[in-house]
Amino acid sequence: MIKVVLAGQPNSGKSTIFNVLSGVNQHVANYPGVTVDKKSATLKFQGEQFEIVDLPGTYSFSTYSLEEMVAKNFLLDEGTDVIVNVVDASNLRRNLYLTFQLLELGKPIVMILNMMDVAERRELEIDVDRLSEMLNIPIIETVGTKRGGKKKEILNAISRAGKITIAEPFKIDYMEFESFISKIEKMITYDSTISKRWLAIKALEADKVILDKVNIDKDTIKDMTSSIHAKHDLDVDQTFARVRYDSADVVYHKCVKEKNKNLDTLTAKADRIILNKWLAFPVLGFIIYLIYQLSIVWGYKLTNYTWPLLATLKNWVVTLLPPPDLHNVPMMTDFGIWMVNSAIALLNYVPIFFILFALIAILEDVGYMPRMAFILDRIFRKFGLHGQSTLPLVLGGAFVGGCAVPGIMATKGIADDRARLATILTVPYMNCLAKVPFYTLLLGAFFKEDMGLMMFFISTVTLFIALIVARLTTSTVLQNRETAPFIMELPPYHLPTFSGVLLRASQRVWLYIKKVMTIVLAVAVVLFVLLQFPGVSTEKKAEFSQQMNKALSQFDKKVQNNKYYTHVDEVSEVSALINLYDSYKAQRMLAGSKSAVASLDAAFLAKSPKLFPLVRPQDKEAKKVSKATRKLSKANKKLQIETKNEKITNSFLGMFGRALEPLTQYAGFDWRVNVAFLSSFAARESAVATLGSIYEKGKSNLSPEESLAQDGTYTPIHAASMLLFMILTPPCIATMVVVKLQTNSYRWMLFAIFFPTALGVVLSVLFFTLALKFNWSGVDMMRNFYLSAATLTFVLSLIKTKQSGWQVGKSQ
Amino acid sequence: MTQTTEATLYLCDLKQNQKGIIQHCAAQGMLKQKLLSMGFIPGAEITMLRNAPLRDPIEIGIHNCLVTIRRSEAALLKVEAA
Ligand SMILES: Nc1nc2c(ncn2[C@@H]2O[C@H](COP(=O)(O)OP(=O)(O)OP(=O)(O)O)[C@@H](O)[C@H]2O)c(=O)[nH]1
Ligand SMILES: [Mg+2]
Repeated sequence: MIKVVLAGQPNSGKSTIFNVLSGVNQHVANYPGVTVDKKSATLKFQGEQFEIVDLPGTYSFSTYSLEEMVAKNFLLDEGTDVIVNVVDASNLRRNLYLTFQLLELGKPIVMILNMMDVAERRELEIDVDRLSEMLNIPIIETVGTKRGGKKKEILNAISRAGKITIAEPFKIDYMEFESFISKIEKMITYDSTISKRWLAIKALEADKVILDKVNIDKDTIKDMTSSIHAKHDLDVDQTFARVRYDSADVVYHKCVKEKNKNLDTLTAKADRIILNKWLAFPVLGFIIYLIYQLSIVWGYKLTNYTWPLLATLKNWVVTLLPPPDLHNVPMMTDFGIWMVNSAIALLNYVPIFFILFALIAILEDVGYMPRMAFILDRIFRKFGLHGQSTLPLVLGGAFVGGCAVPGIMATKGIADDRARLATILTVPYMNCLAKVPFYTLLLGAFFKEDMGLMMFFISTVTLFIALIVARLTTSTVLQNRETAPFIMELPPYHLPTFSGVLLRASQRVWLYIKKVMTIVLAVAVVLFVLLQFPGVSTEKKAEFSQQMNKALSQFDKKVQNNKYYTHVDEVSEVSALINLYDSYKAQRMLAGSKSAVASLDAAFLAKSPKLFPLVRPQDKEAKKVSKATRKLSKANKKLQIETKNEKITNSFLGMFGRALEPLTQYAGFDWRVNVAFLSSFAARESAVATLGSIYEKGKSNLSPEESLAQDGTYTPIHAASMLLFMILTPPCIATMVVVKLQTNSYRWMLFAIFFPTALGVVLSVLFFTLALKFNWSGVDMMRNFYLSAATLTFVLSLIKTKQSGWQVGKSQ
Repeated sequence: MTQTTEATLYLCDLKQNQKGIIQHCAAQGMLKQKLLSMGFIPGAEITMLRNAPLRDPIEIGIHNCLVTIRRSEAALLKVEAA
């Protein structure tokens, strides 16, 4: 097997080439630092086995950042047979800087000269044969984004390169340093496939990893470098860098002709508008508006079409479950419905997420993301974040709504450790799309007139809160974390590829779906148990049964002289009739056209020839039965719901909610609200489902909004207090799991749970109490909360942090 | 930091579209490595392209690439106006 690693400078197209070779879909985007971990794939080609590893991009070989460490460990790995150096042809000189260091390693190298299309556009004429001759390596020109690529050619070159052994590796003349290099070379006893000279050079650069490897201690090197400094007044790092750049320059000038020196690139032209001092923010605002309009507004319209599909799915699952025996719903059925509801509530967002993530992918491909970091870095830095926090916050929902799971996953690339953790802790405050149904439920019930204004408050206050939290954490618990400088390449604009965008959007949506299918459903099981047990007391059960019997005897009285009486004179028959009636009604709601209704009718009739005519009556007598059935069905529904409520009231979660009441009452939450919030921990959607079902009184003509509003327990300030808590509410379980993954610590996970919860409780208690005291309306309360958050953010931005940004050495 | 001559310029002092040549890099450790590997070496030509809308960071052109860097770091690079 040939072991191959793909190395190269950031954004040169390594992952693109990796995907071409392996057929795997590794994340590709137009900004440096996309790949953070290595990814590998194996493939077979002409009877040979290849293992290919995609590495993070590195400009050079220092070991300061995580990506460089990952890349370096692989290149040093003895097992690596061939290094494939992916080079950005439009940027050859700088890319050669790394190429030289790879050549010095002494391993077989194949160069892939990628982005030839860009080089052509820039009117660069590259003499590839000459370059190949000068460096003594095979070179293949590619355009990675073009279909087909040059898979065969590349693999052939790799397989050929794997068979040669390098007698004398490439050599750069380091002039005054040569004597020291050979001195160290003699000190190295370490046996390796890597060139000794290379190890010596790195040792002279005081590279920790290498020093450990070759067993030379730091002081020896220090003595050497200071003696060089004394003798020649030369700094090792700077001189090495200069020598390498000079060599690159020589090669560059021999092999490349710039046909048009003063080419004003398209990128430069576009940047003059997009990054213009006055236009940058309006352009950003416009892009945000566009995303909002396309994904949220249109996406919701799209869900009108996808929802019936999900509802059909649900109905289908329900038909598989054991039917209820009058008001006694089997546990199995309850459970099934609960699980299906939990899943489809989340799946309902798939169209919105798809549009949203596709648009974000376009922004990533075009190259706007690093420019957004450029525009916003100043603001972010004031609060301890980093220009690179932009993408995670956007995915999390900073614009318009999103999901914290992909958001937190995207924090990996942030070089600044403090900002990375702060970003992980703030992404969950963004506008989780799943909170929207909860907001609309409460807004619809209590703030019909001010819905727009309230929604504006809710969705923008999150940014202030995130900034405040970031500032608080970075100046306290994260104070001592390492920071990193903000130096980032702004890549040239690219046209996004259709397949790339589609792929990336589907990958992120798939991540979301996986979350639904695994974590959320697992938690839904737990919640179900907590809500079902210990169950209804025997007395209550008897009471419900009695009520059911009364309803049954009423039904019986109405139909006993009917000609169809024989069809429904037994309880089991009545029970079947009710179930048939309910299931027909549910499916009828989804059947839009006349022909759909007709075929539905036919199907039902075929299945229950005896009872269906009573559900869909054709004659007078049947109509009578149908009418009585409707009444009985209603009574039955009411009892089912009462049973369910009784169960929740008695349940473990209910008890827990009641136990919290003494505290939460100050925020205006009674135990039922507590239960809703507790269950929202699984997935935010559950809050609505739970609240809705607690308030469902069986009056089916009332919407949940109406029944909440008419219930009379809550006033608008109660609702505002709930909204406030929901804004701050701790992230859902799925988010917690990714927080754990990304911080690699349970402590941060616990912090991410308890800090927002505490903040939410304190703030909702505070504002609820103030609202009571000063007679605020719900809107007043929300506005005052908004203004306080905005003011605090502003004040914090004025206070200088002691360690703002990157600590730098003094200049001479 | 001593202001020896009037001509002592730092990268952050360049005006829009002004060109300069790097003289010396006063950064240490990680920052130094990063700057060097991105081509900020003595003798390299750089162009100040623009400030961010909020003045910080700045965008510069170096070796045909566009690079953004914060002012606090740009203040470590001594340049000579070209
Ligand atoms: N025009 C053009 N674009 C390309 C070519 N190859 C790759 N790209 C694009 O360049 C960008 C960077 O590609 P990636 O494959 O993510 O680069 P990478 O080297 O893996 O980057 P890091 O993982 O950040 O080091 C993406 O937007 C690609 O679509 C090419 O040959 N021509
Ligand atoms: Mg990559």
